[in-house]
Amino acid sequence: MKKFQFTPRQMLSAVILSLGIIIAAVPKDTTTPYKLSAEQILEEMKSGTQYLHPDLIAQMLVEGDPTLQLIDVRPPAEYEKYHLPGAINIPFDDLLSSDYQDLLNQGVMMNVLYANGTTRANEAWMLIRQLGYQNNYVLTGGLNYWVETILNPQPPAATSPDDEFARYDFRKAASGALGGGAVAPVEQQSTAPAVIPRPRPQQKKQAVQGGCS
Amino acid sequence: MAPFVVYDIISENTNLLLAFFIGIGFGFILEQAGFSSSRKLAGVFYGYDAVVLKVFFTAAIVGMLGLLFFSLFGWVDMSVIYVNETYLYSAIVGGVIMGAGFIMGGYCPGTSFCAATIGKIDAIVFIGGMFLGVFIFGEGYPLWKNLYMAEYMGFPKISEFFGINEGIFVLLAIVAAVLMFWGAEWAEKKFPREEY
Amino acid sequence: MNPYLAGVLLGLVVLSANMISGRGLGASGAVKSAIVTTVDAVAPAHTESSEYYVMAKGTHGNPLNNWLVYQVLGVLVGAFLSGVLARRLTWKVEHSPKITSKTRLVFALAGGVLFGFGSQLGRGCTSGAALSGMAVFSLGGFITMAAIFGTAFALAYFFRKLWI
Repeated sequence: MKKFQFTPRQMLSAVILSLGIIIAAVPKDTTTPYKLSAEQILEEMKSGTQYLHPDLIAQMLVEGDPTLQLIDVRPPAEYEKYHLPGAINIPFDDLLSSDYQDLLNQGVMMNVLYANGTTRANEAWMLIRQLGYQNNYVLTGGLNYWVETILNPQPPAATSPDDEFARYDFRKAASGALGGGAVAPVEQQSTAPAVIPRPRPQQKKQAVQGGCS
Repeated sequence: MAPFVVYDIISENTNLLLAFFIGIGFGFILEQAGFSSSRKLAGVFYGYDAVVLKVFFTAAIVGMLGLLFFSLFGWVDMSVIYVNETYLYSAIVGGVIMGAGFIMGGYCPGTSFCAATIGKIDAIVFIGGMFLGVFIFGEGYPLWKNLYMAEYMGFPKISEFFGINEGIFVLLAIVAAVLMFWGAEWAEKKFPREEY
Repeated sequence: MNPYLAGVLLGLVVLSANMISGRGLGASGAVKSAIVTTVDAVAPAHTESSEYYVMAKGTHGNPLNNWLVYQVLGVLVGAFLSGVLARRLTWKVEHSPKITSKTRLVFALAGGVLFGFGSQLGRGCTSGAALSGMAVFSLGGFITMAAIFGTAFALAYFFRKLWI
């Protein structure tokens, strides 16, 4: 009896067809929907590096830091009523809409999310952080704390150390510049405010510049 | 996680060195497959030798399958791999001009380099022509700038264009290729040429 | 080598280029790099004034820093090795018995000019745009591939004397 032999073409066809059927049967993106594991997120949350203090944000706003992008995650109606200078509105409900992904997943700006308190902004941060997006931060205490510290700063007790006064002076100055209400313009600033260390945007993994043209 | 150079597993300089080795593999395989012969290459257009079709489509399918499987295994980050950009009109017109160049010259750039190294004088002349062609394009650029830049579509994937997922697209491409290979081998029997 | 085996191996080379460098193979880009560098060396004022050369210098200006240049040097070495192993090293002009060597060379030159020009307009040749583009699902890659092979098939009849 003649032995049946596969030609190279039949062998190749059989192999690639079966592999093709397997890969076609795999639902898209089932394996890597999230770039960060739950453990990694927990680790980052424990360290709290996503929080930025209002003082830092105020300083960046006053300096006109071009890498700062404030993002208001409250509903549009609340955003219309009041928002921080230069903030854009990405309502929490539309956080995952494809319109906003380029804004949230980028390697140029420092996005600072805020809501009225900390919670909503932090939830938003958790969601997009899980997707592997970098350079997103949360404004500590949200707008409430912003009003308390920057817009209506309380003078420190007379016994406070010098840097408390420096901070107060800075807050008053910032308040004036950023549209705070009833604060009188500051006189000569006694000491320059301490430079607060700030995170820099990390470059996003860029697609390679390829092509042959 | 691949690509290694993006994930800083290898340095830029190592990347250039590895480019050289990848090139060696590329050249070796093209030459071994017989792509250093223009009459063998042109054979695909007359049915007597379909080696171009077989190698080309097998390679494209292996590349696609490999990327999808490696992405599935979590070995490669598909989102940072370069997807060639698409300018619709220049892709079509450029392709048509290249097609005419292919049937007249018998080589494409990669294969002409291979053929030139083993002493094919027609390939050396072809390479000379290629330099001239690129030079003409550069010198006359303002004349075809509009065509070159027209109808920019970004970096679309063909699977997105048809609205299907990549795996299904690969399966369809494989079915098409298997049928083409079968047809090509039939043609090779129908239009045989002994010596060329 | 069996063409299907060669195809699988070539596919693995494309795949390794993507895994290592995140990009596909190419050939015509190295020619562009050479042209841009030469023109810049011969007539620097001219490159400054031409929009195309200014653009190209940004990406292809330094051939010592160009991935494709190294890759094409590799192609030359690899093909030469293969030619040595297969004992195919001979100087010759390959052509159909129906035409002279001169005709063949004239058409090779014309084909080269067209291919060089087309590869710039189409942003890549058969390797860079069509093969590597297809491997990463680029729509443009498939369009260019269809245009190249479609045209060559359509014109095959008119140039049949060159080959058969």
